[in-house]
Amino acid sequence: MHNPSPLTPYPATVTKIVDETGDVKTFTVEFDDPQVMENFGNKPGQVAQLSVFGEGEATISITSAPTRGKFLEFSVRRVGRLTNVLHQFEVGQKIGVRGPYGNWFPYEMMKGKDLFFIGGGIALAPIRSLIDFALSDQYRKDYGKVEILYGARSYNDLCFKHDLFERWPNCPNTKVYTTLDRPEEGWDGHVGFVPNYVEEVNPSPENKVAIICGPPIMIKFTLAVMEKLKFADEQIITTLEMKMKCGIGKCGRCNIGSKYVCVDGPVFNLAQLKQLPPEF
Amino acid sequence: MDSRVVNKGQLPELLDKLARDHTLIAPVREEENVTLFKKVSGASEVQLDYITSDVSPKGCIFPQTEKTISYTYTGDTLEMKEQDEPPKTVLFGVRPCDINSILALDPVFEGKFLDTYYLEKRKNTVIIGLSCSTILSTCFCTAFNSGPCDGKGADLMFTELGDKYYVEVNTEKGSSLVEAYSQYFSKGDTDKLAKAKEEQAKKLEGQFRRKVDLEGVKQVLDENFELPYWDKVFKKCLGCGICTYVCPTCHCFDIFDYVTGEFTGDRFRCWDSCMFPDFTLMAGGHNPRPSRKERVRNRFMHKLKYHLDRYNLDGCVGCGRCISKCPVNIDITQIIKDLKEVGQNA
Amino acid sequence: MMDVIQQLREQAKKLLEEKKVEMVIGFGEGTELARTTPVFITNPEEVSALTWGPLCANNLVKYLIDYQNLPGNVAVVVKGCDSRSVNRLLTDNQIDREKVVVLGVPCSGQLDWKIVAAAVDPAAKLKGFSDDGESFTVNTDAGDYKFDKKEAMLHKCLVCENPNPVVSDITVGKEQPVKNYEDRFAEVKALEQLGTEEKSVFWDKQFSRCLRCYACRNVCTVCTCRTCVFDQMQPMWVSKRNNLSENTAFHLIRAFHVAGRCVDCGECDRVCPVDIPLRKLNQKILKDLGDLFDAPTPGSEAGLASPLGEFATGDPEEFM
Ligand SMILES: Cc1cc2nc3c(=O)[nH]c(=O)nc-3n(C[C@H](O)[C@H](O)[C@H](O)COP(=O)(O)OP(=O)(O)OC[C@H]3O[C@@H](n4cnc5c(N)ncnc54)[C@H](O)[C@@H]3O)c2cc1C
Ligand code: SF4
Ligand code: SF4
Ligand code: SF4
Ligand code: SF4
Ligand code: SF4
Ligand code: FES
Repeated sequence: MHNPSPLTPYPATVTKIVDETGDVKTFTVEFDDPQVMENFGNKPGQVAQLSVFGEGEATISITSAPTRGKFLEFSVRRVGRLTNVLHQFEVGQKIGVRGPYGNWFPYEMMKGKDLFFIGGGIALAPIRSLIDFALSDQYRKDYGKVEILYGARSYNDLCFKHDLFERWPNCPNTKVYTTLDRPEEGWDGHVGFVPNYVEEVNPSPENKVAIICGPPIMIKFTLAVMEKLKFADEQIITTLEMKMKCGIGKCGRCNIGSKYVCVDGPVFNLAQLKQLPPEF
Repeated sequence: MDSRVVNKGQLPELLDKLARDHTLIAPVREEENVTLFKKVSGASEVQLDYITSDVSPKGCIFPQTEKTISYTYTGDTLEMKEQDEPPKTVLFGVRPCDINSILALDPVFEGKFLDTYYLEKRKNTVIIGLSCSTILSTCFCTAFNSGPCDGKGADLMFTELGDKYYVEVNTEKGSSLVEAYSQYFSKGDTDKLAKAKEEQAKKLEGQFRRKVDLEGVKQVLDENFELPYWDKVFKKCLGCGICTYVCPTCHCFDIFDYVTGEFTGDRFRCWDSCMFPDFTLMAGGHNPRPSRKERVRNRFMHKLKYHLDRYNLDGCVGCGRCISKCPVNIDITQIIKDLKEVGQNA
Repeated sequence: MMDVIQQLREQAKKLLEEKKVEMVIGFGEGTELARTTPVFITNPEEVSALTWGPLCANNLVKYLIDYQNLPGNVAVVVKGCDSRSVNRLLTDNQIDREKVVVLGVPCSGQLDWKIVAAAVDPAAKLKGFSDDGESFTVNTDAGDYKFDKKEAMLHKCLVCENPNPVVSDITVGKEQPVKNYEDRFAEVKALEQLGTEEKSVFWDKQFSRCLRCYACRNVCTVCTCRTCVFDQMQPMWVSKRNNLSENTAFHLIRAFHVAGRCVDCGECDRVCPVDIPLRKLNQKILKDLGDLFDAPTPGSEAGLASPLGEFATGDPEEFM
């Protein structure tokens, strides 16, 4: 059989588009050759390179769990050349996908534990794959209580509203905490920044893993709270972003010290993170 | 190991034949002071008395610009075409440092994700090395387990000795080539020539001006990411791409699309440089290496530590190009010396 | 030349000690005999790192663009040609005159370091230089090496218009005579004689080997754009593909972008790792500007506007 080079994407079709916020859309994508999906084998936390032909490629987290079905979902924020064009896409248009790349959340090691997810803004996207994985019929029994604490600047900035308000709260032994940075008319939920809300909720580190993803400033303050709550570094897991091009450890730009985020990451626990030079 | 002899007078004929049957890439005098590796059609274009080419020959295997795919995309139909198989190539006249650099690049492009662009060219290329006979003041290959006559990594290694080339046959690929052109490769007095080569190597090794000692340097870098020293070094750097583009071991690249028609385009990969600000610039304007300080540090860290950490191979081969080409005299051997000192004073 | 070094150090020391400047940018000893390297001195005790001689080709004015933003003033050592850059940056409002102290050094020419490096014993230690007007002698512990200026000097120095800095706050060293070893535009005129086809063959050969390392841009004192068109991704004016067509686009855009502002310091030409004769392009434009607009070399006088940046009724093209 033809052996495609590692930089050649597989053709795929956009089958569904959901507007999440003013500048984030979620694209459901299916490979044109179903065999590709069979072999894809993405694990929660991994990323893919999306091709929009004529614009190039962008690294995007696979936000769907493999347990959800024979498709991939990508939540994409409009920030530049490729993402602008992708946001003009209509159902039925073709894109290219290559991957999956990077490591994944250590879901084996998390078995039998409670999971506490903390996310801010669009950064719920990379951890959503693990949430859905742990909440799937197939694996729900492997994990204890699942809690999701998520915040955004305003109601309109909340991604995955359907998941937050309908799907996840109805899963067994699952709790969702949502917060907005500022009060807003019609919002009777929590108001305040994510790190403060975490402190209020006061999760106990007992048999728990915290999975955190958000803008750098949120991560910084949340980590301080986690330390206060006595979470050990190994119990705190996050995913990093660096500029990426190849995704396969060759093009040299995503390094933090000797590690390439595209192959050695993007998932790191805090203990590993502390070993890396502060260059991210 | 097998060895052969080629009469100097017969080399042009051999090169002509090689060029006829393969793509022959060899050093060419492009301008009075510029030597580059280029495709040649015969011996008359080849410059044998060069010392170090101005740009390394890595581009024969990892070209500066390379089309990865061509696509036709109409919105609802998509077709992609991959690269054709690379031609059978002979890369002639490569100096030991540059051969060593290909060995340093191999593991980057091998591994879990096989980089077929590089690996197919690598597979289809026979590397014929050429021992040095002049040592430049910037050369320091001996610091990296190599030397002016070291044939490690070459399929065939030529050493000029009087009116003959002593040829070491190091690999299967090399020996097939010798067989195919056996009329040029005689058995001759190879023992005597082997001895002469050893003497020549020893003599040349005495001529290195830069005595570079790497002992302890990696340890300093392992233990210190922040060093006040970097604040000093980067100030004069212009942030250009010279040092990385001339370097035989740099492998960074960018990928982008080039539109050729309403529905068609090509995707390319092109050399890139960690000395450029946009190399790591991210969406939202965050840049993990925001100034030349971090970028200069990254380059030397990569050469002297990161490559070793990842592949257990040196990231520099001592070709000296970045030293002679840097417009502001940032000199990796000085950096090595200074880092050693930093370590000793720590 | 030794006394120039001594005076430079004294002046630098004084400036630093009296806190007139926070930093002195000058030339220091390089890692090889034939090379010097830019040094950035902030401590008056370290002025002995400063040196001077016929191996100081770099135009240090480039650094002012970055380092003038430091707290405190900056002093910079300039040769005649470099001083045109100071004027040019002032005209473009790129530097603040108040923040810069110009340490001008009259210059009798700069040697091509590669010619020197090829001639001297690589193990030799530099002792000093002397200049008899027509040649430089490099004195080393392994003997003296004499370099005929006509043979070993940079081309820009053979046709130097301003050996004495045109702007200077503190001048160190004796005034130097203007000596033209050849017609300033001889090389350009020779190129002009070629037919269109031959010109294209000549430049295609040059441009096709360009690495697009952008050293010529980064070293240039009149390249001060915050985001250079060549780095812009949206729209991508020139792609990163390295081929003759993109490379030619790069070179033509570059040449025209510095047209009328290029001070002919020759730095782009000097730094090019593959010896592309960029100065010939710039000089062609300089020559045309002289012929068409009677324009002097940019920067050679204070406050000179760019001939392409203003309109005069006497301009040869009546396009408006
Ligand atoms: C591990 C990882 C996971 C990511 N997951 C998501 C996700 O789930 N959803 C999402 O919307 N975005 C995600 N990103 C960011 C996304 O890759 C960039 O926003 C995207 O590549 C920008 O492409 P563009 O062509 O629209 O922007 P461009 O026009 O190319 O550039 C706009 C800006 O984005 C920067 N940029 C370009 N490419 C990248 C890149 N590969 N990584 C980071 N910055 C870049 C540019 O330097 C520039 O500042 C992720 C990035 C990484 C590294
Ligand atoms: S060649 Fe010199 S000036 Fe240019 S980026 Fe490299 S170190 Fe800096
Ligand atoms: S770092 Fe410099 S000396 Fe080392 S291999 Fe690269 S160009 Fe040669
Ligand atoms: S990171 Fe820098 S030094 Fe390392 S290979 Fe890439 S360009 Fe070269
Ligand atoms: S052009 Fe004139 S001032 Fe400039 S280096 Fe040459 S001789 Fe000196
Ligand atoms: S310095 Fe030379 S090689 Fe580099 S971009 Fe300029 S012309 Fe091209
Ligand atoms: S994205 Fe290319 S090395 Fe990581």
